[in-house]
Amino acid sequence: MRAVNAVTTSWPGLHVDRPSFSAVAESELDSVHRYLLFLTGNRAVAEDLTGETFEKAFRAWRRFDPGRGTPRVWLCRIARSTALDHFRAEERRRRREERYARGAPAVGEPELGPGALEAALARLSPAEREVVALRVLLELDGPTAARVLGISATACSTRLSRALKRLEEMMSDARD
Amino acid sequence: MPATETIDFEREFADVVRELRALPAAAPTGVRERVRALGEPAARRSLPRLPWRRSLLVLAPVCVLGLVVAAVVHGVLNSAPKRQALSLSRGTNHEGAAGGATLTNPGQNVWGPVAGPAPSRSLVPPAAGRHQNYDAWMRLRVKDLDALTQRTNEAMQVVRSYGGYVASVNQSTTAGAPGEADLVVRVPVAHVEDALVRLASLGTVLDRRLSIVDLEQTLRQQRQHILRLRLFIARATEQLRQPLPADVRLRLQLQLQQARADLSQATRANAGTLREAALSRISLTLTTQHATAPVKKGGTGRFERAARDAGSFLAGAGAVILFLLIVLSPFVVLAVAALLGRRAYRRREERRLLASA
Repeated sequence: MRAVNAVTTSWPGLHVDRPSFSAVAESELDSVHRYLLFLTGNRAVAEDLTGETFEKAFRAWRRFDPGRGTPRVWLCRIARSTALDHFRAEERRRRREERYARGAPAVGEPELGPGALEAALARLSPAEREVVALRVLLELDGPTAARVLGISATACSTRLSRALKRLEEMMSDARD
Repeated sequence: MPATETIDFEREFADVVRELRALPAAAPTGVRERVRALGEPAARRSLPRLPWRRSLLVLAPVCVLGLVVAAVVHGVLNSAPKRQALSLSRGTNHEGAAGGATLTNPGQNVWGPVAGPAPSRSLVPPAAGRHQNYDAWMRLRVKDLDALTQRTNEAMQVVRSYGGYVASVNQSTTAGAPGEADLVVRVPVAHVEDALVRLASLGTVLDRRLSIVDLEQTLRQQRQHILRLRLFIARATEQLRQPLPADVRLRLQLQLQQARADLSQATRANAGTLREAALSRISLTLTTQHATAPVKKGGTGRFERAARDAGSFLAGAGAVILFLLIVLSPFVVLAVAALLGRRAYRRREERRLLASA
C-alpha cells in the first residue's frame, strides 16, 4: 500500500493513525473494483457498484475506526452490502419482468472476459468467486475474509478450497 | 494471516492462483474519476463517535459513579442535624370527623429539640372556635433537689397566673435517689400555649407529647340527644293532658320519667364535655435525673448516619433498577429474538442470492 496522508483522532487512549479518505480511495479503488467484478461477474455492474461503494464510504467515513480493521476490509464490507442490495433489486426486477413480460430474454451469463480463466470463473457461483477475490486477489487472511463474509473461518477455507479446485478442473478441461 | 494456510492454497493451486493474480487489476478511468471527484469528507468532529460496545463500557461505570455520588450527597445532606422543629399546620390536625388527632412522638416533638433550650412558640396551638380535648405531657430536668422544689412551686404559680389550677402534685425527694415531682394541672385552653412555653422554660425538656382530640362531633351528638329528649318530654307531657286509657297513661308516665332522667344525664355530660374543652390538661414531671441516652442504632455519628442513608439510597436505586429489569426483560428478550431472527433471515437470503445470482 502506498503512503497515505494521516490524521489522528482526538480521543484519548485511541490514538490511531487515520488515513485521509482520498488516499484510501486512491489505494483501494482497484481492489474494491476487482472484488465487485468477481462478486457480480459483470464489468458494467461492477463499475457502477464501485462508484456507489465509494460514495457510501464517503458518507460514512466518520464512522470508520482504524482501530477495528483496515480500510480495505471496511470498504469490502460496504461493497458487499452494496452488491447484495443490487442482487435483491435485480431479483425483484426479474420477478416483475417474468410476471408481466413472459418470454423476456433470460439473464445472461457473467461477463468477466474472453479468456479460459474468465470463462471458468463465470461458471462459479458468486459466493465462490467472492471468496477467491478476497483471499487470492485482495490477500485477506482467513479470519478476516470470514468476518467479511459473515461465516466461520473453516467454512471460508472450505469454500475457497472448493472454488479453486473447481477452477483448476475447469482450466484443465479447457486445456484438454 | 496463518502462514501455513497461505502456503497451502498457494502451493496446492499455484497455477490457478498465479493466473488469477495476473488478471487485469486496474479499475476503469471513469470509475476512478468518479471516486476522485468525491474529494475529502468534512473534518471529523473533535469528539469521535464511540462504537456502542465501547460506549457501554464508558457509560456503565459513569452511571454507577453518578449513582454513588448521588447516594453520598443524599447521605451527607440527610445526616445534617435537623434544626427545624417538626411543623404541623393548624388545620390538618383539627379537622378529623372522628375528632381525633394525637401527636405523640417521644424524642421528637412539636415544640422543638428535646433536651435543648426552652422551646419557642412552635407548638400546635388549640384551634380557635372548636372544642377540643387538649392534653400535653412534659418531662423536665432540673439541676438538683432544691431546684426541684423551687421549680414545682413556680410551675404552680404559672398555672394559677393563667387562671388554671393544680389538679394534683406528687413530689418525692428521697436522699440519694433522683427527685421527681409529678404535677397534673388544668389551664384554660386560651392560655395553654403561653403556659406550656413558660412551663418548659423551668428546666431542660427531656420528653414531651401532645394530644389533641376534637370534641365537636361528640358535642353535636350530645346536643342532638338532648334535643330529642326535650321533644319527647314535650310531646309526652302534652299527651298526658289528654284523656288516655289507664295502662297507656301509666306507660307514658314511666317513659316521661325515664326521659327526664336521661335528659339530666345528657345535660351533665354535655356540660362536662364543654368543661373538658375549656380546660387543657398538662401533665408535668420535673426530675433531677439526667436524660437516658437514646438507644443508638449501630451508632448515630454523622458519618454513620450518612453511610446508612447512602446505603438506603443505593438500595432504593437498586430496587428500582431491579424492578425495571424485571418489567423490561420480556421486551428485551423479544427484541433480541427479533434481532437474531432478522439476522438469520438475512444470512439465509444472502446465501441464496450469492448461490443463484
